[in-house]
Amino acid sequence: MSVLEINQLSAFYGKARALNDISIKLDKGEIMAVIGANGAGKSTLLDSIVGLTRTTGDIRFEGQLLNECSAADIVNSGVGYATERFNLFPYMSVYDNLMVGAYTARDDVEQNLELVYDLFPRLKERETQETGTQSGGERQMVSLGRALMSSPKLLLIDEPTIGLAPKVCLDMAAALRDLNQSTSLTILITEQNVNFAMSLAQNLHVLETGMIRMSGTPEELKANPDLNKAYFGSS
Amino acid sequence: MTNPTKKYLLLWAIFIAVMLLLPEFVSKGTLRTIIFANFLAIFAISWDVLSGRTGYISFGHPFLIGIGAYTSAILSYRFDMPIELSIPLAVLTTTIGGTLFFLPALRLKGSYFALVTLAFMELMYQLVQVIRPDLTGGTRGMSGIETITRGAVNNYYLSFALMVTIAISMWLLMRTRFGSALSAIGMNEESVRGSGLSTTKLKLAAFMTSAFIAGLGGAFYVHYLGSIAPRALFDINFLFTIIVSALIGGAATIIGPMFGALFLTILLEALRPILPGVERYLIYGSIALIVYMFKPQGLVVLVLDTLDKLRSIISSRS
Repeated sequence: MSVLEINQLSAFYGKARALNDISIKLDKGEIMAVIGANGAGKSTLLDSIVGLTRTTGDIRFEGQLLNECSAADIVNSGVGYATERFNLFPYMSVYDNLMVGAYTARDDVEQNLELVYDLFPRLKERETQETGTQSGGERQMVSLGRALMSSPKLLLIDEPTIGLAPKVCLDMAAALRDLNQSTSLTILITEQNVNFAMSLAQNLHVLETGMIRMSGTPEELKANPDLNKAYFGSS
Repeated sequence: MTNPTKKYLLLWAIFIAVMLLLPEFVSKGTLRTIIFANFLAIFAISWDVLSGRTGYISFGHPFLIGIGAYTSAILSYRFDMPIELSIPLAVLTTTIGGTLFFLPALRLKGSYFALVTLAFMELMYQLVQVIRPDLTGGTRGMSGIETITRGAVNNYYLSFALMVTIAISMWLLMRTRFGSALSAIGMNEESVRGSGLSTTKLKLAAFMTSAFIAGLGGAFYVHYLGSIAPRALFDINFLFTIIVSALIGGAATIIGPMFGALFLTILLEALRPILPGVERYLIYGSIALIVYMFKPQGLVVLVLDTLDKLRSIISSRS
């Protein structure tokens, strides 16, 4: 059974349609990436899954329909959401930020904290630092760490490499790969960095103006001349 | 225990010791000023629990204080109910009644929330004058309301004990997960929702806590004054004194609103001989403006930073 199944999803901001008829399936332990330019609807897709936008169509998580659930209930059911846009509490320490993520999984706090610190040792070193004073890469780590503190079965990550240096992108990819392999966690990421997404995901979708234009494995997409032209400037 | 915690505990201990000894050194007139500062601190803490923490700016706190004050005054003055019963009933009425009124407003954000709460204050002002003036005393209000104790010193210790009890309770409450979650709402509400927490429930709990303190403060305040009048309570200057106390001292802290209340009250009293009219509020408005522009964290942080700088200068010279 699919962990996440989305059928004919459309999302709206007022009367404006931001997503149009999206259908995707995500199996357990899979890493999937949705790639696209700014304004393509990537963040809206993730916001829609956790109930932060008005939608039509079906979103099922482990068979359960999420459409009518509140954001709090969706996260409680096992969907973790890491996003750089509105994610951190800047005047709280790294530790306190992580603890806000742990409210829904109080029994697993120690175990999850160990997992996060193993994955990102830098957070352990800086656990008393206010996140507002941290670098972009460190804030991404806190953001991911906080989502992991809720013991998610499905992790949604919105543009994990935005604003990061190439070396930090590689570290981030390695950390996510380790996480996926060691815990079989299912991961859905959105990205503009096509190389990063292709190095990590088993399956990808290309989103343009709210619609899926292409789908496939990294090899299939690399062989597609349209994608090459759009993202790598060659055909 | 970490150094900042030790520093704060030391500050608290000094503050309580000075306040306990105060009646030995100041006149009864000054003591009455400090009594008002104590009540103002209670109202500012109440405002801060909701607005300072979550960022939902309430302009309706006199509305809540008014429910507490009027309920206890009416029950004791009109129905001869003992104060020991009228005060708890007033607190209950404020918490439940205030929540029922504010519940729809909690769905609003930013300036909309602030404006709706301001309307509540005005609504209450009009209501107490026209609805059952035989109970509320109408425009003239009520006087001769039973007081809890007599004399400036007794009232000073009572108001101080109430303020410290509320402050310590709130300090402990704000150190829990609930307190962290409220501060998190103030920084980023969407993100709190994205972390699986119901911000509506959290805001409701913050509001009820805030209303509870406002009702408690209002009920004790009316039994200290022995009188109540709508114009004095539902007054825009009173409202802004509460808000400025919390902000000037340091929002989202406990000691900040207390310090701010004391500072503002003493400042207003000190200015009275020079500026007897409402021009005094111009001065405190200007001070507030300067503090927000250069030290938005408030006076407490300003004082602590200055002390740290002085200490480092002294240690570098020696």
